[in-house]
Amino acid sequence: MHCVREVTDDLFWIGANDHKLHLFEAIHPIPQGVSYNSYVLLDESTVLFDTVDWSACRQMMENLEYVLDGRGLDYVVVNHVEPDHCASLEFVLQAYPDCQIVSTEKGFMLMRQFGFAVDSHQQHEVHEGDTFSFGSHTVTFLEAPMVHWPEPMVTLDLTNGALFSADAFGSFIANDGRLWNDDVDYDRDYIDENRRYFTNIVGRYGPHVQLLLGKAATVLDKIKLICPLHGLIWRNDFGYILDKYDHWSTYTPEEQGVQIVYGSMYGNTESAAECLANEICKRGVTNVVMHDVAETHASYLVADTFRLSHLVIACPTYNLNIYPPMHDFLDELRMLNMQNRTVAIVENGSWACESGDLIQRFVEDEMKDMTVLNERLSIASALHEDGRKEFEALADAIVESVGKACTDCASRFA
Amino acid sequence: MLYQTTEAQERLRAEIRAWAEKEIAPIAFQLDQNNQFPEDQVMDLGKHGWMGIPYEKEHGGAGLDALSYAIAVEELSRVDGGTGVILSAHTSLGSYPIAAYGTEEQKKKYLVPLAKGEKIGAFGLTEENAGSDASGTETTAQDRGDYYLLNGSKIFITNAPRADTYVVFASTAPELGNHGISAFIVERGWEGFTFGDHYDKLGIRSSTTAELQFHNVKVPKENLLGEEGKGFRIAMATLDGGRIGIAAQALGIAQGAFEKALAYAKEREQFGKPIGVNQGISFKLADMATKIRASRYLVYSAAELKSNHEPYGMEAAMAKMYASETAIEVVNDALQVFGGSGYLKGMDVERAYRDAKITTIYEGTNEIQRVVIASNLLGRLGKKDAKGTKKAFSADKLPETGPRRLQVFQGSDPQELVDKLVGALKADGYDFSVGIPADTPISEASRVVSGGLGMGTKENWKLIEDLAHAAGAAVGSSRPAAETMGFVPLDRFVGMSGQKFAGNLYIACGISGAKQHLKGIKNASTIVAINKNPNAPIFKNCDYGIVGDVNVILPLLTEALGPGEKEPQTEFAKIRRANPPKHEPIGPVMVCSGCGYEYVPELGDPEADIEPGTLFKDLPDDWVCPVCSEPKEHFIDRTTKGL
Repeated sequence: MHCVREVTDDLFWIGANDHKLHLFEAIHPIPQGVSYNSYVLLDESTVLFDTVDWSACRQMMENLEYVLDGRGLDYVVVNHVEPDHCASLEFVLQAYPDCQIVSTEKGFMLMRQFGFAVDSHQQHEVHEGDTFSFGSHTVTFLEAPMVHWPEPMVTLDLTNGALFSADAFGSFIANDGRLWNDDVDYDRDYIDENRRYFTNIVGRYGPHVQLLLGKAATVLDKIKLICPLHGLIWRNDFGYILDKYDHWSTYTPEEQGVQIVYGSMYGNTESAAECLANEICKRGVTNVVMHDVAETHASYLVADTFRLSHLVIACPTYNLNIYPPMHDFLDELRMLNMQNRTVAIVENGSWACESGDLIQRFVEDEMKDMTVLNERLSIASALHEDGRKEFEALADAIVESVGKACTDCASRFA
Repeated sequence: MLYQTTEAQERLRAEIRAWAEKEIAPIAFQLDQNNQFPEDQVMDLGKHGWMGIPYEKEHGGAGLDALSYAIAVEELSRVDGGTGVILSAHTSLGSYPIAAYGTEEQKKKYLVPLAKGEKIGAFGLTEENAGSDASGTETTAQDRGDYYLLNGSKIFITNAPRADTYVVFASTAPELGNHGISAFIVERGWEGFTFGDHYDKLGIRSSTTAELQFHNVKVPKENLLGEEGKGFRIAMATLDGGRIGIAAQALGIAQGAFEKALAYAKEREQFGKPIGVNQGISFKLADMATKIRASRYLVYSAAELKSNHEPYGMEAAMAKMYASETAIEVVNDALQVFGGSGYLKGMDVERAYRDAKITTIYEGTNEIQRVVIASNLLGRLGKKDAKGTKKAFSADKLPETGPRRLQVFQGSDPQELVDKLVGALKADGYDFSVGIPADTPISEASRVVSGGLGMGTKENWKLIEDLAHAAGAAVGSSRPAAETMGFVPLDRFVGMSGQKFAGNLYIACGISGAKQHLKGIKNASTIVAINKNPNAPIFKNCDYGIVGDVNVILPLLTEALGPGEKEPQTEFAKIRRANPPKHEPIGPVMVCSGCGYEYVPELGDPEADIEPGTLFKDLPDDWVCPVCSEPKEHFIDRTTKGL
């Protein structure tokens, strides 16, 4: 059964939702599912903007056939070749042998690499600023390299103001019948998953996101709709999501607050983390989140690190090294280009306490513009009353630093 | 081909030998004992025309060849190694660069009085972090239009502070390494040019050696020697020639010791015969004489090549290396021939034994001589590989004491400076109501107040003791303050060769911060420096500093910390080190639009032969992303801001 929505005159959403996929990109859990968005424009020519994941191919084909209503498919515009959007292209090309393909040079290269039979179709290689007319609709293209792949472009329909934004402005969470950003309480129900999607998938490429935002800013007055490849379509409140993107892509915290991430083999480091959280909250800083690094998927931790100004790492020493799940988390932050955060370290070791020094070195050497607070809490096996002075000093330092954080972050990117 | 010196050369030798036997030999022991520069005798050398032997007559020299000069150094060193190096450093190092690279005006003004011996010359290249590797030069000369502003310091400078004219090497373009070094002629007495530590040396004690300090010294433009940026070449060419001088010095020291041993072997009788009849002794003498003869031919041949304008760099290095190693062996054997008598102070062989050692070290260690020789033999073999392992770009170079805050307070109101310092220390968690005894062993002390030569006199030491009490600290010192001045017992000086301090607070008063001292305090949580010289290395190694006179600052600081009774310190909680300031990046980090690779200028791209420190804009046009081969123009700045 087809399942489509009209977005605006002649433009249809023909995507699909996925609740079966457990791990997005085989890494990130998606308990609320994900949507694969694909769009069809019915002009003098018929145009498909991107396809869907292989798992949703059948639904999309049914939708496409329904919307075309007997017409052929003249063009497919491939904004992004990643297989969660492009895998079904293969089937589309078979079903519509006369269909012409519009994409970037690198897009075509990657399609060939993935084994799609693009060479038996007419190809239009487009570049930044090119325009293309489908009848009454004229579109223009903006290259969007390294927003997380090298080949993407975004396509702006100059006639109806629809921006086909590829993975930009996408989010986890299946649409399940909802279509618009204002169909939901975005800030309450969606932003956390949106942040987790962006920071884990695109987080590393802040400068290139900024490059794209800069290009978009020049045509902002022409944009009426932002149609991403995952999640809801934006039809208003662009400032809200642009502000989030600006924070994330400049590695600027959204909020002053403290994320405590601990690893604890027997509960002693956990207990110290709890005591520390208690001291921090007692001092009036209550925007505190705490997670067990071994129990929590790193994608959630990463999203919180992007959100908050401060990170406390409480970590045992394991085989003279950083406790491995913590090491994995830190390495994830490094890979994602995390910067401009203040870090406090709580180290534990029962006979050779090494984790603090190793973490400090990792944070200082492998990441950019990170500040490690001078005060460090060193625990020999378990926190006792004689360590109170030390951990109170750490709580003081964190609270004092949180107070200063906002102005610091603002000035860094002024 | 008959290898023989000329009659004129031998006549010169005879004259200088006679002079040295008469003027130097009788006082050599006294000079050695008292660390005394033979002022009158050096002036007399000048009167004889021997202070400018290889320079043209029109520039005040004797117009003789390099071999005559080598003979002069050899003959002086035969009697006293210290006097030999006075001549060598003056002629080869202090005068040569001006003779070879100076303008006619510079030669008239500086070379003439040097060659006539009216002025004494010296050469300032070596620094704390630049010796064998001149690219580490940290002394800078900033172009200020009419003049260069010279800042920094030089160590181990022979003839300083006595010398009048100094050829000083400083960086005019630090980012260019060796290619940014320039040479300058600097006069003693110019404002801001002072002398530092007096060195208490093992040997050559009649020659004087000191540290040069430059604080905003204005060097007139006309005192730039050669071209800007050519200083490294001037230095290397000078050292090539200087090696002949040192080789001649080593040869002379060996010759002198050998002659003494030979005489003693004939004179000293055991078992009813001169000891020389024993093969144990005679074979030693045979070996000594052979090695000395080989050395002599190496030295003279290098000098001949130089006089005839043939390439001589490798040969000079061979001569220096071989003659100095021969000297070490010969003086060792000579002393052995003398037995117990040779071990006594006042014996010439004892002095020669000590004097000889420096010849394997200075003007290029013998290890460096082997590098020079080997590179002449092998060319640039392996050079490319060495590049890849080059140490991290110097922007990342840390102070000797590790990362430090480097917060130095300067100003006209000493009370304000002291208040800032005390405020900072208290903010770091220092509690000055508690204290430890002044004689707590340095290694166990949580705090130490140390004094250096800058404290001046023993009477001033009370300032240190009072401050130590007020700061709740034990008392320590720099090495010279304990060793030379005797301010404290020898077990209380701090440094690589003394006590190591690993406590919380170290307050260094009147200590310039020699490397060996800094190594002893690198584990201190907080280092405070108080010194009147703003260029003292200690300020590059401290968390907090006050530029000021210890006589003014210390009493104020004592008062501010509280001179009253202190509670005994109950626990020694290690205070964590302060966070040092972050290094400023040298240029933008650029991100590849094909894959996200980041080009970091501090790291360069060694795989593509791009040196660390190369800015992105300076990359060759055909450089591509090392990961995905994207061209240079597809990179964007890491700080790209779109909105």
